[in-house]
Amino acid sequence: MKTLEIKNLHVNVEDKEILKGVDLTVRENEIHALMGPNGNGKSTLLAAIMGNPKFEVTEGEIWYDGKNLLEMPVNERSIAGIFLAMQYPQEIPGVTNSDFLRAAMNVRRESPVPLFTFIKAIEKTISDLQMKEDLAHRFLNEGFSGGEKKRNEIVQMELLKPSLAMLDEIDSGLDVDAIKIVGDAINRLHEETGMSVIIVSHYERFLEMIRPQFTHVLVDGRIVCSGGPELANRIDTEGYDWIYKEYNITPAAEADELNRRPASIGVCAVRESVKGLE
Amino acid sequence: METISTSKTIIPAAGYSAYEIDAAEAVRLELRAVSGCDVFFRILRCPKLEIESVTEEGVKASVLFYNSSGETLNTEEVHNVKKDASLTIAYGECNGADTFRTVRVNLQESGANALLSSASLVNEKKEYRIDVANLAPHTNGEIRNFAVVLEKGRLMIDAIGRIVKGAYRSESHQTSRALSFAEGQRSEILPELLIDENDVQASHAMSIGRVDEDQLYYMMSRGLSVQQCTSLISTGYLMPITKVIENEELRNMLAEEMERKIAELCSM
Repeated sequence: MKTLEIKNLHVNVEDKEILKGVDLTVRENEIHALMGPNGNGKSTLLAAIMGNPKFEVTEGEIWYDGKNLLEMPVNERSIAGIFLAMQYPQEIPGVTNSDFLRAAMNVRRESPVPLFTFIKAIEKTISDLQMKEDLAHRFLNEGFSGGEKKRNEIVQMELLKPSLAMLDEIDSGLDVDAIKIVGDAINRLHEETGMSVIIVSHYERFLEMIRPQFTHVLVDGRIVCSGGPELANRIDTEGYDWIYKEYNITPAAEADELNRRPASIGVCAVRESVKGLE
Repeated sequence: METISTSKTIIPAAGYSAYEIDAAEAVRLELRAVSGCDVFFRILRCPKLEIESVTEEGVKASVLFYNSSGETLNTEEVHNVKKDASLTIAYGECNGADTFRTVRVNLQESGANALLSSASLVNEKKEYRIDVANLAPHTNGEIRNFAVVLEKGRLMIDAIGRIVKGAYRSESHQTSRALSFAEGQRSEILPELLIDENDVQASHAMSIGRVDEDQLYYMMSRGLSVQQCTSLISTGYLMPITKVIENEELRNMLAEEMERKIAELCSM
């Protein structure tokens, strides 16, 4: 039983505290949705689990499958079964998808994957995700459209077969058809392998497809409430205001806004909060 | 493959030919390209190498110097290119030893072309001075340097494009790029264009930088170690040099050898 266990996690980004004590347990085969307004720590939580060096863990613990993740470099976390489909996948000129994927598959095997097996696997995945056939020979994400990059994340997920997949707004930039293709791929892998999933998404349509059993709402660096699918449904219809009232909290972006600009109208709160992060 | 151990004059046969240089003492080579040729030189050992070449009128020649030496290599090269001739030289430097290279290319008569490119994986000292001179009208010179600088590496490139007075309608272009993986490395690239004629085209591009941390994180998040990322990125960075080789056999051999060597050096 591979379990992810997060205890009292505090994370700083450029000396600003973003996560202020997060507790979360994800067991095998479970699907969890992370919700909450932008700029309140959802992506930060996923990046900290993966081990992005820009995110500094100042307190707390992350355990997976009995291993202390905080003591492991990023690549070992991946080999332990953790996968993060990134919100903004990097472009790597000069490195082809196939060289990259083969190397990534080989690090988790005793002996290198035979060429024929690899070609079969990548061809199947390319057709599952309805990518262009020349994908394998193209440089990693270079010149890809936003939607192609997102689908390429799922190509990688399918080939690497993680035991815990974290999907950071994988649906943004995808059209309706592509959302269906990606959703099907995630569900298939979940059913076949019992892969656990943590999903960050703002789209009800996508959440309906994946059907998370658990919903957590992250506001100002803390999980303020957790529940089942009914919580996600209520947020979809009513937004977050009722949560702020019920738990007497202020979301990070607005709290920041209140501190910096006491009385301004017509300022984009999201942009202002992003400014603080950049 | 013919082995060269003392000074000699070489007139390469048309098509593909290959030589190994294995010499205990200094060697001077005179090279005369009289018909279209692809020439491959593998340097196994040679403390000092002097080369003087002539690419004769209308001839298209390409030469690859691949350094496999485990000892310091010093070269002094002068390459002369005649009317409407075209010379391509590629330097592959993925060995773990110092190289000091001084190259002068003379585009002597109108219509002469030269392309010099180098791909270096630097874990020792590599110093190049490459000087391409347009001495006649309608000549075209280009320099391309690509280097990956590893932890113990030190790179110095002096790239000079020179157009003399009277060499009108000539072009001189150069690109030099160095990529490093660790902090505190020293790379120096000095691009120079010395132009004494008005009716010409010239350009230079230069960059020295570290591998992007976000790229490294992205690749590591799929399970690759820092060494594997270094090796894959370096391969992608240096491999384009093989494209200057038209001969397929030679190109594939070089690509395989570079890939092996890069993986070996990056895992050190």
